[in-house]
Amino acid sequence: MFHNSSQKKYWIFKSEDELEQKRYKANQKFRNKARESGKPGVSESMFLERHEEDVLFRHYERRLLEFCNAFKPAMPKSVVGTAATYFRRFYVNNSIMEFHPRIIMLTCAYLSCKVDEFNVSSTQFVGNLLQETPAGQERVLEQILEYELLLIQQLNFHLVVHNPYRPMEGLLIDLKTRYPTLENPESLRKSADDFLTQAALTDAGLLFSPSQIALTAILNSASRASLNLESYLTECLGLKQDKETLSKMYDSMRRMKTLLKKYELPKSEEVNVYKQRLERIHAEFATSSNKRKRGYEEDGHVAKEARLVEEEWTDEDLI
Amino acid sequence: MNMEQYSILGRIGEGAHGIVFKAKHIETGETVALKKVALRRLEDGIPNQALREIKALQEIEDNQHVRSKACDAPVFSVQDLKPANLLISSSGHLKIADFGLARLFSEQGERLYSHQVATRWYRAPELLYGARKYDEGVDLWAVGCIFGELLNSSPLFPGENDIEQLCCVLRVLGTPTQDSWPEIVELPDYNKITFKENPAIPLEEIVPDTCPQAVHLLYKFLVYPSRQRCSARQALLHPYFFSSPLPAHHSELPIPQRGGRPPRQRLQAPPTDFSVDLPLQNSVVDPALLQGHASCL
Repeated sequence: MFHNSSQKKYWIFKSEDELEQKRYKANQKFRNKARESGKPGVSESMFLERHEEDVLFRHYERRLLEFCNAFKPAMPKSVVGTAATYFRRFYVNNSIMEFHPRIIMLTCAYLSCKVDEFNVSSTQFVGNLLQETPAGQERVLEQILEYELLLIQQLNFHLVVHNPYRPMEGLLIDLKTRYPTLENPESLRKSADDFLTQAALTDAGLLFSPSQIALTAILNSASRASLNLESYLTECLGLKQDKETLSKMYDSMRRMKTLLKKYELPKSEEVNVYKQRLERIHAEFATSSNKRKRGYEEDGHVAKEARLVEEEWTDEDLI
Repeated sequence: MNMEQYSILGRIGEGAHGIVFKAKHIETGETVALKKVALRRLEDGIPNQALREIKALQEIEDNQHVRSKACDAPVFSVQDLKPANLLISSSGHLKIADFGLARLFSEQGERLYSHQVATRWYRAPELLYGARKYDEGVDLWAVGCIFGELLNSSPLFPGENDIEQLCCVLRVLGTPTQDSWPEIVELPDYNKITFKENPAIPLEEIVPDTCPQAVHLLYKFLVYPSRQRCSARQALLHPYFFSSPLPAHHSELPIPQRGGRPPRQRLQAPPTDFSVDLPLQNSVVDPALLQGHASCL
């Protein structure tokens, strides 16, 4: 249940400010580390600013969703939602300059498949990287496995994610059974689904409970169809007497809608510029993390360099 | 987690997936169990069993999990129920220890799962026939096996390998037919193996010297179609639990002593007068006394 979940306890934050502070701290942490590395030619201008990181983050987040949505066999929604949540949670406390989102996003998807019991073999998983040769896929897989434990650690071992999809089904069932005023609750589904898809691209999941998100999706869909569900809240959800909860809820809904409205598509020219800088940073500080060893250099291309000898995982890595 | 925060006090046990240590958290002094999982050369990365264990442990608030989860039975499955995984605490509480194979049930019912889950002797027949989709019935089968083992003091179906395991089960329950088990035809390994037909052996012969209620309850668990197995909730209402000897309050349970000393005598409840004329209150346990021992009340 959500109310005693690790999600509620550790991964719902008070405000967007709190999230921004954490991300800012991660950005600073990387800068400090880079400066302290003593490498020549470290200058402040080479680093990515927070808003630049954000653009790239959104770019890779979209790529993650594209990858998941094109996945064969079709990935259940909850698996996609969990992968996207892992990706957001990971970069609350880490900078993309430290860990390249290209590999983290795939590791998130891979872990999510396992955690959510969507059983695909590792070969099948990387087989979905259509632009890679079999040898390239093999190499990506090695990287995914290399980062898997790091990801789990950064998620603080909190692997269960509560997505808003089930609460939404629940609300639709509830509307059908207890709220005859509404003639065709199913008509709300399409636009509510779209809302959830949009919400997945924002911090909504780090600020609100899945049922709040689902309810907002439903109410938003209703208001777009000029239907008023206020009496559902007051009569069926028992909020008539509880004016405080009701007003808090309206407030959350407003905040959520603002979040969605604020969302900006990453502009491709910006993405390209920042990406070049990101690649440079990773090339420069590649050895600063012993987790990163080799890579496929540019998106969709396989590195031609000789592979370094793989360091084997030991039991000590876990504890 | 950082190992330096703990001092190892000793080794508790070793399972298929790792070694369990008794350890002390240095800062708080709390005694904990640490499980060390080897992660060498795994082609699919961190094994699903390890992930399931992490998942279950992280979402369970405290060590009250066994009792609270027993009440949510339909959504929680252990999948590796066997006597070795059942621990009885010094206060008489039963705890299910190994969550390595536990998974939170998804009600979508469409996903495929690995079939090598339950330890062989307690493995449900559908798993032995290679089922990739299954439900909490696999736990209820295991409960039946454990119950029978408690009655007999020896395992009911001690197969030495998977084929023999199936033989053991079929010998007792009889060769399954489409009548006794309609779903069998859909199981992956159904056509791969055939056994000589034999009739069922009455369970009274398998667990001799057992009271009829116990045998009756055993029949409820050990049936081929998973859905026909008695649910945990129903089982608790079975006459077996309401006939003598009545279930003991956990404080009455004998505590096994370390070092092989004979166990403390079980405290005998005073003989009960079941006269129908006595006021009912006298025989009813005060719910307040049970609070803290049964969170589902």
